[in-house]
Amino acid sequence: MTAPTFGARARAWSRRAEVRGVFLIWVVLTALLCLFSFVPARLMGAPASPTKQAVETTMTLFTLAASPVAAFVWAIAIYSLVRWRHRGKQAPTEDGPAIRTNTPASALWVVVSSVLCLFLLVWGFVEVQAVATSASASDAMVVDVTGQQWVWTFSYPQEGNLESDQLYLPVNRPVIFHVTSKDVIHSFWVVQMGIKVDANPGETTQTSVTPDRLGRFDIRCAELCGLLHADMETSVHVVSPTDFRSWLRSNGGPG
Amino acid sequence: MSSVTIGEPAVHLEDPDKVGRRWRTGILLLILADGAFVAALLFSYFYLRGLNTEKAWVAHGQATASIVVGWLLAGGVVLSAALYHWALRGIRAGSEPRLVLGTLLAVAVLLATAIGQVMQLTTFPFGVADSAYSSALYTLAGANLFHLLLTAFLGAAMWNRGRLHIYSVTSNWQVRLVGLWWTWVAGAAVLGAFTTSFIASPNVGG
Amino acid sequence: MRRLNVGTAVAGGLIGGSIAWFLAHQFLATDNPSGSNQVTILTMVGWAIGFMIGIGAFHGPWCWLMGRDQSHEDEKFLAGDGQGIGRYFRFTTDHKVVGIQYLVVTMVLLGVGGILAMMIRTDLIRPDSGFLSPQVYNSVVGLHGLTMIIATIIMVTGPFGNFIVPIMIGARDMAFPRLNALSLWLIVAFVPVLFSAAVLGGIPTGWSGYAPLSDQAPPGMDAYLTAIVIFAISSAIAGANITTTILTMRARGMTWNRTPIFVWGTLASVGLAIPAFPMFMGSMVLLGVDRTVGGQFYVASGGGSPWLYANLFWLMGHPEVYVIVIPAVAALMELTPVFARKPLFNYTAAVLSIVGIVGLSIMVWAHHMYASGWAPDLNGPFMLTTELISIPTGIIFLVVLGTIWRGRIWTTLPMMSTYAMLWNFIIGGVTGIYLSDVPADYDLHGSMFVTAHFHYTLMGAGLTGAIGALTYWFPKMTGRMLDRRAGFASFWLVQIGFNVTFLSMFAAGLAGQPRRVEHYDSLFGVANLVSSLGAYVIGLGMLILLYAVVSSWRRGPLAPANPWGSKTLEWTVPNPIPLENFEVLPVVIADPYGYGEGDLRVPVPRAPAPAEAVAGAATGADGATTPTGAVMTRTDAPPIPEQERP
Ligand SMILES: [Cu+2]
Repeated sequence: MTAPTFGARARAWSRRAEVRGVFLIWVVLTALLCLFSFVPARLMGAPASPTKQAVETTMTLFTLAASPVAAFVWAIAIYSLVRWRHRGKQAPTEDGPAIRTNTPASALWVVVSSVLCLFLLVWGFVEVQAVATSASASDAMVVDVTGQQWVWTFSYPQEGNLESDQLYLPVNRPVIFHVTSKDVIHSFWVVQMGIKVDANPGETTQTSVTPDRLGRFDIRCAELCGLLHADMETSVHVVSPTDFRSWLRSNGGPG
Repeated sequence: MSSVTIGEPAVHLEDPDKVGRRWRTGILLLILADGAFVAALLFSYFYLRGLNTEKAWVAHGQATASIVVGWLLAGGVVLSAALYHWALRGIRAGSEPRLVLGTLLAVAVLLATAIGQVMQLTTFPFGVADSAYSSALYTLAGANLFHLLLTAFLGAAMWNRGRLHIYSVTSNWQVRLVGLWWTWVAGAAVLGAFTTSFIASPNVGG
Repeated sequence: MRRLNVGTAVAGGLIGGSIAWFLAHQFLATDNPSGSNQVTILTMVGWAIGFMIGIGAFHGPWCWLMGRDQSHEDEKFLAGDGQGIGRYFRFTTDHKVVGIQYLVVTMVLLGVGGILAMMIRTDLIRPDSGFLSPQVYNSVVGLHGLTMIIATIIMVTGPFGNFIVPIMIGARDMAFPRLNALSLWLIVAFVPVLFSAAVLGGIPTGWSGYAPLSDQAPPGMDAYLTAIVIFAISSAIAGANITTTILTMRARGMTWNRTPIFVWGTLASVGLAIPAFPMFMGSMVLLGVDRTVGGQFYVASGGGSPWLYANLFWLMGHPEVYVIVIPAVAALMELTPVFARKPLFNYTAAVLSIVGIVGLSIMVWAHHMYASGWAPDLNGPFMLTTELISIPTGIIFLVVLGTIWRGRIWTTLPMMSTYAMLWNFIIGGVTGIYLSDVPADYDLHGSMFVTAHFHYTLMGAGLTGAIGALTYWFPKMTGRMLDRRAGFASFWLVQIGFNVTFLSMFAAGLAGQPRRVEHYDSLFGVANLVSSLGAYVIGLGMLILLYAVVSSWRRGPLAPANPWGSKTLEWTVPNPIPLENFEVLPVVIADPYGYGEGDLRVPVPRAPAPAEAVAGAATGADGATTPTGAVMTRTDAPPIPEQERP
């Protein structure tokens, strides 16, 4: 008698009831989770910058990648609860099969999770690189952002240090924010543009974005900064270049 | 609560050597914990010095502490550790008088160093609030003083217990373990002196 | 010394605190913030020292200094021999007493933290409810966070690491029983210090206590930092003690590959805590210098840096997450084979995953600081180490699923915690992967998304695992069976309420709601309303659990020595467990996972008996004599219990 071939063993294995059952639940759950994968991006709302767009893509993609994994874990859990459950209040009278380990299964698990991890890393590093290059645009406008308990102040060093408590930005022009604080740590978060950096006393930090949608968006403080932290919010108005010029003029800027 | 003791309680006596080996592991772990604390302080010193926020690591025109005094104090701790180990060698060779004399000298040197440390603390040529550098020096000196007093307590116990004939050539694991701690305290003092020898921040650029 | 108990301790603490307060008022200027901070800290330290004197913690060191070593009689008294219930209120060294004391302290902390959570959710039920003022709200958020962090740090290694682990490894007590009592009573002294913050202006910084906000905070912050120093000392002592116990006191034959996985998990947790919490203590000492004598550590204008605090804090803070989660998940890995009636799947991989998580956890701290601007160039490397953790974490799922695979699933209360963990920890893990991605974190950091994520890990996996451990070891620790009906009612309420609360909190975070805000844009109204309603369901479920524990502890049906048919050593000792656990120390000849290995369940040949081991018989709870012989993990006692009584 010769040992069965790998193919024959695989066929026999795939005919087993628990394998088929788990597979079926896994397929259904994976499908459901893949549908769900588009929900996080929907909840995040319409992006107002390529940065936010990229974050939403990441969210969708990572959820898609995680779907079969989560579905697999839950499929075995559900199947075991339904089919292998010992009913009754007494202890089971006999033990399960004494499976100490299964090298192919373990190896496959580690390989698959490593491949997924590698994918996450490559994706992450590519994105980080993209963020870094967008920050070095030559026509960028610089805005100095100062946090203090509990207001934001914006100043435009290229426009005669014009100051404002609302942020006005021309659409489709890269902006570099130089962020600092006068007292405690705040965090400068432009919600719909998907950027955030802490405002630290004594240091200047930097972040950048290219707003690509006209409208009014939210700036919130994302680091607990004392009594009125919840009120430390203001608006960013993304306007056309002409409107931006006239806003500068009407606020005493050089225009 | 229903778990009450039943029957004759055991309370087994254990082999002292076994207990000693166990304590050795415990002391090493406690040294690890204390080491993490000391490392956090030294890290803070180097980190703030490297960052030199607003060029204020050392305030403009501020006097700095004498490096020589720092090393002298560390030398005092090292000397006391050496004396202690001389005493430890004594009891391991069976000489109880050497244990008593050695621990007494070690504690004396340690307390003298502690007094020196207090004098340094009270005569720093700057106030604790002057700069991050001065805050760090006061804190490191305070931590060192705490180390010294704790070690002096252990040393005093060794002297007293040696006097009471508790240790012998075969039973002296407590003396060895206090030696382990003492060595670490000396090492920490040297690390502190080394750290505070670097004063000016290398980060002076624009 | 024999009359000392918790009453004299409180008296000592009050006297010590009053003396310190009086002296501080006499000699210090109190008309400025620094002065009142000095008074606060000195009073707290006075309280702690007085309390420890009053409980008798310094008696041992003093006698040792004077060369009066304790007699055998003293040791027996210290172990609580023949003192009935009084030993739970004394400086008692018996590890089982300490374990129960830790359990009660944990339950008190969880209870207070839970009430604070209910206050937070009530405030957030409407966009502008005004239930709490911003000042009170910030304090409640900080106290809730810190209380729960401390509670979850001690919730597994405190009660079960002390009560169960020594028996599980076949030891008569911990390595250092007196240090054990010391660590427990330090925690007891710590509790009032922590909660005094509530009346001293609160902790308006969140649990993370970020400087320089903490530099300008009211004296409640002094309570915070003093409490953390006490806690760090306690946890270092407890960590050294438990680690030494596991390293040096495992029974003969309990080699590393026969050591139960829960022991590995406990070792990893306390081993990680030993270097982690002293760093936290370091950051608190610096904060104390800043607050009391005008130190400049965290003050930018004086050459200090808030980033120093953030680094020190997260150097502790990330290992701390695993200090919490590892032992809880390890407890679930321990009990899953029992209720699947199968060996733990791939034991080696399980151990390696714990070791891998511990190793990586000390290299990931700055993923909490991606958006701080601290070192943008390091974000990439920290993303690498953080995402690598997903591999060993994934192996935990492999182990649990492999154990469940084709098992005889006995769906008891503890086993259901494993299933709940499989659900919650996947969600916590996947959302953690989003946050490990640097650009995604730039968006999500500091939002409610983060809050929901870490509740899924610390509560969904951690607390669930701790509740699983409690329901599993309850019969051994109390000698009684836990009320099954109330237990299941609580389980479903807590788990459903938990998922409702925190799934909707994810939604609020994705939509842009920051953390720690007292009111918010009406845009997030629905998500917060649902979240608050879910929180009330958790609260109700927790109350039912409390009822189940208290009522079953008092008058539940007596438990047999081994109600689950487990194969670890703690189930071989009779109920109630005698002082020093084992008359004859066991010798281990196999690991405790030999389920289904039929031929091995018949009595195995005796291992060569050690000199002190005499084959004996232990008395079971029902009075029946259970043959134990030279005790082995594959006990020859019938492993199947009569019944799990309702
Ligand atoms: Cu703010």
